[in-house]
Amino acid sequence: MNDLGERDRPGTPTSPGAWDARSERTLNTASTTSPAPETATDSEQPAKPETATSSEPPAETVTGRTPSTRETGTDRKAAAPRRGAADPVKALMHRHRELCERAVDPLEIAAGLEAHGITDRTAARFRHRDVFSLAEEMYARASRDGDGPPPAAPAAPRACADWALLTLLPGALCAAAVAAVHLTHGRSRLFAAAAGALAVALALHAALRRGPLSAADRTTPGRTTTWTAWLIGYSLLGNGLLDSAVAGGPDGLPTGTADGPWPLTAAPVLALALACAPAAWIAHLFTGRARRRLAASRGLDDFAAAVRPLLLGAFALFLGTLAALLVLCTAALDEPAAYAEALTLGALLFLARLLTTHGFSYAPAVVLTATATVQAAALATVFAARLPGCGLLATPVDILVTTWGAGSVPTLACGAAALALLIHATRKLTRASAHAPPEPAR
Amino acid sequence: MRIGLLTEGGYPYVSGDARLWCDRLVRGLGQHEFDVYALSRSQRQEDEGWIPLPPNVRRVRTAPLWPAEDDDVVLGRRARRRFTECFGELAAVLCGASGGPSASGSGPVSGGGPVSGGGPVSGGTSIPEADRFANALYGLAELAREEGGLSGALRSEAAVRTLERACRAPGAQRAAREARVPDLLTVAAYLERALRPLSLDWYEDNGLGAVDLCHAASGGPAVLPGLLARHFTGVPLLVTEYGVRLRTHYLTAPEAPPAVRSLLAAFHGRLAAEAYARAETVTAGNTHARRWQERCGADREKLRTVYPGMDARPFAEVGESPECADPDTLVWVGRVEPAKDLVSLLHAFAEVRKRQPRTRLRIVGAPAGAEGAAYLGHCRTLAAQLFPDEADGPHTAGDNPVSFEEIGGPDLPAAADAYASGAVTVLSSVVEGFPISLVEAMLCGRATVSTDVGAVVEVIGGTGLVVPPRNPRALAEACVTLLRDPERRERLGAAARARALELFTVEQNIEAFHGIYLEIVSRTPIRRVVLDEAGEPLPFAYPAEAHVPVRWADPATRLVARGGPGWATDGPVRAATPVPAPEGAR
Repeated sequence: MNDLGERDRPGTPTSPGAWDARSERTLNTASTTSPAPETATDSEQPAKPETATSSEPPAETVTGRTPSTRETGTDRKAAAPRRGAADPVKALMHRHRELCERAVDPLEIAAGLEAHGITDRTAARFRHRDVFSLAEEMYARASRDGDGPPPAAPAAPRACADWALLTLLPGALCAAAVAAVHLTHGRSRLFAAAAGALAVALALHAALRRGPLSAADRTTPGRTTTWTAWLIGYSLLGNGLLDSAVAGGPDGLPTGTADGPWPLTAAPVLALALACAPAAWIAHLFTGRARRRLAASRGLDDFAAAVRPLLLGAFALFLGTLAALLVLCTAALDEPAAYAEALTLGALLFLARLLTTHGFSYAPAVVLTATATVQAAALATVFAARLPGCGLLATPVDILVTTWGAGSVPTLACGAAALALLIHATRKLTRASAHAPPEPAR
Repeated sequence: MRIGLLTEGGYPYVSGDARLWCDRLVRGLGQHEFDVYALSRSQRQEDEGWIPLPPNVRRVRTAPLWPAEDDDVVLGRRARRRFTECFGELAAVLCGASGGPSASGSGPVSGGGPVSGGGPVSGGTSIPEADRFANALYGLAELAREEGGLSGALRSEAAVRTLERACRAPGAQRAAREARVPDLLTVAAYLERALRPLSLDWYEDNGLGAVDLCHAASGGPAVLPGLLARHFTGVPLLVTEYGVRLRTHYLTAPEAPPAVRSLLAAFHGRLAAEAYARAETVTAGNTHARRWQERCGADREKLRTVYPGMDARPFAEVGESPECADPDTLVWVGRVEPAKDLVSLLHAFAEVRKRQPRTRLRIVGAPAGAEGAAYLGHCRTLAAQLFPDEADGPHTAGDNPVSFEEIGGPDLPAAADAYASGAVTVLSSVVEGFPISLVEAMLCGRATVSTDVGAVVEVIGGTGLVVPPRNPRALAEACVTLLRDPERRERLGAAARARALELFTVEQNIEAFHGIYLEIVSRTPIRRVVLDEAGEPLPFAYPAEAHVPVRWADPATRLVARGGPGWATDGPVRAATPVPAPEGAR
């Protein structure tokens, strides 16, 4: 058995001649008298199942010889070139070309060959001990220098009508609520405001449930909802409160208009609500582009370098859109311009959401909490300063408000937070693992 | 004896692979306790529930191998460094120049030793490689055990970056060098799923640490818990593979770039080699599987063939009354799918009809999946084209000589009736694993004609005719030979039934595993410290007689080559006594 193994070691033939004595006989018979050469090899095979029982000698004739003797001339002529070739493995490789080219190791070829019904007995016809050594020869001889097919572009996430419509909803409802508040008076205005706030909150919740703004894992509950609500509420009421608090007020509850003792600034909130739709589209674009870059990049550093401008571009695009919306809303509502604070707040919320959708929910939660706390603290110090002996507490806020106006407090808080999140995002969102395609749900 | 049965997408689940075999094994070995540790493959599998379990299954613990929520374990700096080291080592082995267990991945074939050597992995280079893989694997396992989970770390950017570094390192395989970022992400995600058993809490003293023997019911991820239990607590491992997992991986691996396939194939190859190296005994379902295992580095002395067992009772009645067969009918039974090559069978039958005009062919079986249904339709059309309907006389309704039927109808209430109706059973597959329908035909005492694929020759022995696959002419020739010779048919049928009853019954299977269990436990008994109620070690828990200063069984004893009956070896059975299940340790 051992010397047979030596002789059957696969390799490229060095000469067109015969391999050994046995194959020489095969070659000769194939070229002169042309019985199918498999007859020769078949008869030499050691283990025929039928020979196990001595009472069944005719069985062997059934397997190999009888068909070949019965073959008609034309049949044999058709089969002869394939079987009688000097290099049978070449023909086999041609037949399993694809398998050989895509195989990453010999065992894969062996598995593939076996799946095509090639057994050790067939391998013997190719002068190999078993399928494994045949596969090794095929693996060694296969040309794999041709590059594989270019990587297919990944299926970009499809834009769906449902989330596209849902993201329009908060803006529409908010506009309706603002209109209602403007048109009503007294008690009905209060109801309109409450109903509008509730409707916008529900619409926002629905818009963030699906589409490109939905969180990566639904399992973790939103930890940022309260703080987001606080930030939006502050942009609606906070400046008026701070102004009046610094002046010694407030003297009454907000009346829902921009010109009361506690004025309401609805333009930033309306602009933010309207910005939901562009934010979703920008996030959608960012995800799609990033996946395409992912498929095209060779290394992780390449990918990071390619995604960073993409991220900054998306961010700038959102800021531009928000600024345009702000200008429109301010003009429509005829309110004093408060662009800086609304822009910083929008930037902060957009970045937080973008990070959350890519699976980084920890940093946004921390930053949003911190921002809201700072804003609350600013308000609290102003009121606390009225206590005897605590006058110094309000000094920083006083200086800020008198120098730059009440809007500077949220601008500074949100601006710093947005900057921190932007730096964080350029580190986290440029990682390839953040853009891994979602695993197929099974 | 307490046995930890490890399965992957298998036993207790209703839709599991090999659940029938495991169920019979567990029920058949009622004297032993079984702890089942199951890895489930999908949410759907988990939702479908378990099959009823016998009382000797003491506990079942399951874990998902599919995407589930992560564990939120944040590694500290030192743990992160250790993780990067171990995972880098693992990745380096997977990317290494000598990928795959054959150590001949690169260069011409001259490096790859002939398989005839049989023994362990050939070539000097691959042995340290295997060690590196094992070290990395156990390093990760220890880390996971200390930190409480690794799935977060395995999915992190650090893992992807480590993988990239390994792929770009000098000496990496060509396919790995070409890995692109999406490939790295795919591989990292796959490895995270495959290595999930590392993060499980199964290896404590009340889990796999308490069993006397781990029995992995399949290769692949199912052996990982066994390997870790062996590493942590020294529990011996038995690996049973009815289909070689590595081969299945090659055949079912989804279409992916070469880099991904190369790395994943290397992982499966290394894992298989490690499992074969650490297992006390490796059993194969047939010679084919055994050859693959040998090829992947399993030591020949550890290998045993344990044939799958079939329930012989439904076939007893048919098998004992061979005269009820219709002498002119050929029967084919199986699941209809393209690999069964029914087209070839129909062509062969056309040839048979030319010589034996009265012959009929019954094709019994349900289609497998959509592809199978399409194939069945194709075969029906072909049969209708090849064979016109025919009738006995001018006044009777005609019928096609080829009939397509399914088991379960009023005609054929059970599989045995299908075999009973024909004189000769035909198997025409081009690809076949362990041919169950052939064994059933043998149990029914029917003469068979089969193609030489898979384990057919091994199963049939000398008790049936074997022809080359894709050769309708030879198939027809063999069928005609048998149809014309009732005496020979009877002789072959009787021999086949005797052979099947000897080799392929459930009892044989269970008996073989019983013997292997006892043998393994006798060779590698676990000596645990028995604890009392307060958790203190209990002195003199084992009597001095338990430690006899002689070897009960020589570890170098050569195993019986082919599934020798376990009860034939007396010595190991007695040696089981010094290993009582220690109550205090639970």
